[in-house]
Amino acid sequence: MSEEESPAQRVAIGISFGNSYSSIAHTSGEGKAEVIANEEGDRQIPSILSYVDGEEFQGTQAKAQLVRNSKNTVAYFRDFLGQDFKSIDPTPCHQSAHPIQHDSTVAFKIKDTAEGAENTVTVSEITTRHIRRLKNSASDFMGKTVNAAVITVPTNFSDAQKEALTKAAKDAGVEVLQFIHEPVAAVLAYDARAEAEVADKIVVVADLGGIRSDVAVIASRGGMYSILATAHDYDVGGTQLDQVLMDHFAKEFIKKHKSGGDPRENDRSLAKLKLESEAVKKALSLGSSANFSVESLSNGLDFTSTINRTRYELLASKIFAAFTRLALHAVEKAQLDPLDVSEIILAGGTAHTPRIASALQSAFPESTTVLAPSTSPTALNPSELAARGAAIQASLIQEFEAEDIDQSTHPMVTVTPHLAHAVGVLCISGDPASGVFRPLVEAETPVPVRRSAVIATPREGGDVLIKICEGVREIKVTKPAPKPKPAKDEDEDDEDDEDDSEEEEEEIREKAWRVENVLAEAALKGLKKGAKVEVQVNVAADLSVQCFVREVGGKGGVRGGWSAPKPVENGSI
Amino acid sequence: MAAVQISLPLPVLPEGWAAEKDFKAVGQLTHATDRNIEPVGPHFLAHARRKRHKRTFSEDDR
Ligand SMILES: Nc1ncnc2c1ncn2[C@@H]1O[C@H](COP(=O)(O)OP(=O)(O)OP(=O)(O)O)[C@@H](O)[C@H]1O
Ligand SMILES: [Mg+2]
Repeated sequence: MSEEESPAQRVAIGISFGNSYSSIAHTSGEGKAEVIANEEGDRQIPSILSYVDGEEFQGTQAKAQLVRNSKNTVAYFRDFLGQDFKSIDPTPCHQSAHPIQHDSTVAFKIKDTAEGAENTVTVSEITTRHIRRLKNSASDFMGKTVNAAVITVPTNFSDAQKEALTKAAKDAGVEVLQFIHEPVAAVLAYDARAEAEVADKIVVVADLGGIRSDVAVIASRGGMYSILATAHDYDVGGTQLDQVLMDHFAKEFIKKHKSGGDPRENDRSLAKLKLESEAVKKALSLGSSANFSVESLSNGLDFTSTINRTRYELLASKIFAAFTRLALHAVEKAQLDPLDVSEIILAGGTAHTPRIASALQSAFPESTTVLAPSTSPTALNPSELAARGAAIQASLIQEFEAEDIDQSTHPMVTVTPHLAHAVGVLCISGDPASGVFRPLVEAETPVPVRRSAVIATPREGGDVLIKICEGVREIKVTKPAPKPKPAKDEDEDDEDDEDDSEEEEEEIREKAWRVENVLAEAALKGLKKGAKVEVQVNVAADLSVQCFVREVGGKGGVRGGWSAPKPVENGSI
Repeated sequence: MAAVQISLPLPVLPEGWAAEKDFKAVGQLTHATDRNIEPVGPHFLAHARRKRHKRTFSEDDR
């Protein structure tokens, strides 16, 4: 590689930049992603800047300033970037510097210099300062100056928002190599693990943050990802869980100190209450109880208290239920059934909450794996997924010319026909009504695609029929047999079901296949006893198909193909 | 991707089934839906390479 080429001089990292927290990550020599701790030792760095006598603080130090210096502390600003003042929701900034309208953008009035004059600082400038600090932390860690990054953004981040973020990063000396969607970064973080296998699956990513929660339903097909649906909720997130605890401890405080006043009614008390409630909430993700302790919470009175997890879960149950509803809603928007979901990846800080993971597990079938710290020993840290995924992507593309990256991410390359139905073979019988369809290629797989299957044959070998069809997944619902009257024993043969009392009530929902369309037939003759047949299907970009069947280990085989469907006239469908 | 393993047996060839070279095309795929593939990950990069250089899977394998 020649030295003068710009890609050769890139030092790229992954950045996850949230409204509440940010993370930076890099990949080690063997391509393993790792989240970097900043100078304070934080891997989740609060996205907050604070100014004290002209000195700039970031992260946890800045967050502590929310108590005494909230007017010069800027927080929850990511979603304001590239937005009109009229279209933002300033609510999350009630306890910090308030956003104001400035020309066509959003700004904050803060005393950010030693002279103490109040300056108007745009959200773009704040973002630049924040990214500069992140870049410096990463550079310190890596021992070389970081100058490029892949940054994660929500799936509904607009072009204007991306443009504003590109500029803000550039002003901090960071070239944005690519924006990638937060949920896709999470899937990539999981798929990049050494033990991961490429598979066709439907993955739901539930990214539960501080001031927003986002769910994406993703078709993962041979390591490629297509978003089928998304759902967003700005009314449920970690902030609402903090609020539950704030209300709880405020009431406890009032009960104990009749003359102490309500800590929620004084700005400084409120800020202390909020900080400690968040800490208690995080502690309750790990332990079965947690201590709340604040010096001089209100009217000079100290306050300590404890809460156990059960109590917290009861107080927050409505909010927990809202996360489950959001996930189910996204699956419905994708026109899928919970039975179609192979995995739920829990991402974002709030995803550490055990009860949220278990509630999702009970709302989805047993066949759905919930990847969260409390439900799966192999789960990755939900707070690190976006940054890790971004770092992996950065390592994949950092040597490409900017133009190459642009071309590869252009709709000419990314917009691709996805199969409407699964393509597979009929087993047992060649009659679509009694045969059993088995998919080779799942619906929503982008073309071109090549898949193969190895299939058993009748016991005696001989001549077999390979019938290739399109199949449609259906949900078969079996209603429980009407409950036998008291004389229960007479009903059928008793299959000694121990726990039948409850189970019996529930209808059984299963996936089943229906043959939609027969595509082709092939014959393989004179197979040996115990032979296996390999079927390979190649779907071209124009939806024409080539197919090859052969006896595994045998010679020859049968080859054939069929044409693409007739093009539809524009607007005729 | 690894081959799918299917343990259910293929049907026996019906009596009298015949086709030239033992293969007959019967129908065509249903029209596809245009969607965006997320430009992320190693498999997408391979896809982008094939698409931009108009290469097939087997050319890619070489
Ligand atoms: N261990 C934990 N247990 C419970 N909640 C946690 C834990 N760690 C972090 N959180 C909460 O997660 C939220 C932050 O989530 P995340 O780090 O994903 O932020 P973000 O992406 O910046 O979110 P947003 O943009 O929605 O504000 C905060 O409410 C924080 O209190
Ligand atoms: Mg987030």
